Amino acid sequence: MAVIVALKNVVKDYPLGATTVRALRKVDLEIDEGEFTVIAGPSGSGKSTLLNLIGCIDVATSGEVNVAGENTATLNDNQLTQLRLRKIGFIFQSFNLIAVLDVFQNIEFPLLLQGRLTTADREARVMDVIEKVGLRPQLHQRPSELSGGQRQRVAIARALVTRPKLVLADEPTANLDSVTGGSIITLMRDLNRADHTTFIFSTHDQRVMEQADRVVNIHDGVVSAQGLGALDPLPGSDGVGGGDLRATMGGAIKGIPG
Amino acid sequence: MIGVLFQIAMRNLVQARRRTGVLFLAVGTVTGMLVLLQAMSQGINDNMETAATTLSAGQINVAGFYKVTPGSAAPIVTNAAEVRKIVEENTPNLDYTLLRHRSWGKAVSETGTVQTALSGIIPAEEEQFFKKLQLAKEKDYVEGGSSEVIGDPRQLSEPHTVVFFANQAKRLGVQVGDVVTFKTETQVGRANTLDLKVVAVAKDLGLLSSFSCFTQRETVLELGQLDPDTTGAVWVYLKDIDEAPVTMAHLREVFTAKGYRLMDYNPNPFFFKFEDVQGEDWTGQKLDLTLWKDEVSFLSWVIIAFNSVTWFLTTILVAIITIGIMNAMWQSVRERTREIGTMRAVGLGRLQTLILFMAEAVMLGLASSVAGAAVGGGVAVAVDAANIHVPMEAMASILLSDNIHLSVKPMSVVAAVGFLTGFTGLSALWPSVRAALLQPVKALSHVE
Repeated sequence: MAVIVALKNVVKDYPLGATTVRALRKVDLEIDEGEFTVIAGPSGSGKSTLLNLIGCIDVATSGEVNVAGENTATLNDNQLTQLRLRKIGFIFQSFNLIAVLDVFQNIEFPLLLQGRLTTADREARVMDVIEKVGLRPQLHQRPSELSGGQRQRVAIARALVTRPKLVLADEPTANLDSVTGGSIITLMRDLNRADHTTFIFSTHDQRVMEQADRVVNIHDGVVSAQGLGALDPLPGSDGVGGGDLRATMGGAIKGIPG
Repeated sequence: MIGVLFQIAMRNLVQARRRTGVLFLAVGTVTGMLVLLQAMSQGINDNMETAATTLSAGQINVAGFYKVTPGSAAPIVTNAAEVRKIVEENTPNLDYTLLRHRSWGKAVSETGTVQTALSGIIPAEEEQFFKKLQLAKEKDYVEGGSSEVIGDPRQLSEPHTVVFFANQAKRLGVQVGDVVTFKTETQVGRANTLDLKVVAVAKDLGLLSSFSCFTQRETVLELGQLDPDTTGAVWVYLKDIDEAPVTMAHLREVFTAKGYRLMDYNPNPFFFKFEDVQGEDWTGQKLDLTLWKDEVSFLSWVIIAFNSVTWFLTTILVAIITIGIMNAMWQSVRERTREIGTMRAVGLGRLQTLILFMAEAVMLGLASSVAGAAVGGGVAVAVDAANIHVPMEAMASILLSDNIHLSVKPMSVVAAVGFLTGFTGLSALWPSVRAALLQPVKALSHVE
């Protein structure tokens, strides 16, 4: 499998008044195309920072971040925008839909930004993804008229409609009840399997970790462990989920930052 | 793509109804006021044009001074027939020409006197003059008079007749059929008088009608002891008054080429020029070409003052709405920072973000200014159609008309809409730029 995300020696500092907070400390990480990866860790551990760097909405203080073959440090704002538009889909914890657009328009929005498809092709693409996430009855409803689960489905559809190589989801189930959250994860897992789209999540949610190909544990800005998730266990493993990765996946750990 | 940005902008405007409504009202009101004030200014300008080109000047005047000695100055043109012929043969888009004699003197009745200019007309050639001149009701100049219009200005074709304006007739205490004595100086400085019969009294045309009255051309020649082949000026009327400046420049070249001596162009009425001409060391004839505006330039303060007030008010109001719109846009950017972050993350570029916010302001500006202009224009047309009488004489003098006249020019409406829309857009520029420059990660982590 080709590597779609590669971080080498990545450091990210945030200024905080007169001091500097180091959010990531020399992180090395590689993620292959088609992986369903979870980045796990407690609040403030650096999960979101890592996702922001991979999603090209933030830049590293030092080190190298390669996404879809591009070294993001060498790209200007316009090039980063284009990279996000063409190669990356985002799913946010708070759904982040455009309040004044209806379901169809929210999903169509990235395609309009791309400007590549004809109106008919665009509509077909949107309807295809709407069918996949099961939102056909809500087609012309505004976000305020939808439930939390429906909103997250819209966000998933918006992230997938451009057929990106990489989808980043920042705690996508955090604002959902357990049943809805479970169905959302199952949906994303199904889409991952069907289209081989790479998914990277940040989450605390054990159910998400159980669905993952790989769980990357991060603590105080350091990647402490990486291992396979429960649904695709390594040959010979017992299929235990990400919570006990260090204990159960010792041989599968790809790397620990220095 | 631009379509969806405008759609988002439009829906955001609808969503923020209260804020949009207040700004809509503010921008619309200012536009409406601007259109109304412009209509009033244009109305005064129209009144001035009508009054000037009826009483004081043609659209172009071919006048001049004749000096027997260097120290004298008579405002006459000799060889009037030849000068008129040259004008008629060399004026593109000519409508018609008139000869007008000019005299200045004192009208004396049994109860009063009035200093006034006396214009000598050739009634057979003055169809336009008779069309424009409206007669006053008797009660406008006679205390206890009737509402009837009495007299006939076409009787000016008879010698020793005069048409006064209502304010003059009132001051002189005369009515149609009465006789006044007109006293003036001949070209050689002797006093001369003639008795003139009042044949009609015209409605006032603002300030200018305070010192203008009309008689037959021969009467002026007789009063001034002038040669029949002289005139005060050849008045030139074009099919399009806007061509007057270019045509005047052309006529200057024509007269120069034909060997006439011309005075330097001086945009003032002829009676402002006596002192200068008397001080110049030349004798004989020199022509002086002017535009109608030049002959009433002493009234231009009315329009300048009115326009100054208009722009002063507009500037203050525009400054207020600029602050209002800028503040509203800052609020909008603050409220939608996370949305900006989301759209930027999804792939919206900086320029597109700028367009999105600018579109909001420009759409608001355009819609509100169009509505304001429509209301302002409608009110102006309605007020003009109502033909409202100006109750105060001083106000009538300033407005140069007895009735309130408002004139809405399509171009000035378009300019007002463009001006307010542009200003609304400019007011939103800085907040929009700041929105466009927001880092996606910072915008996404914004806490409302």
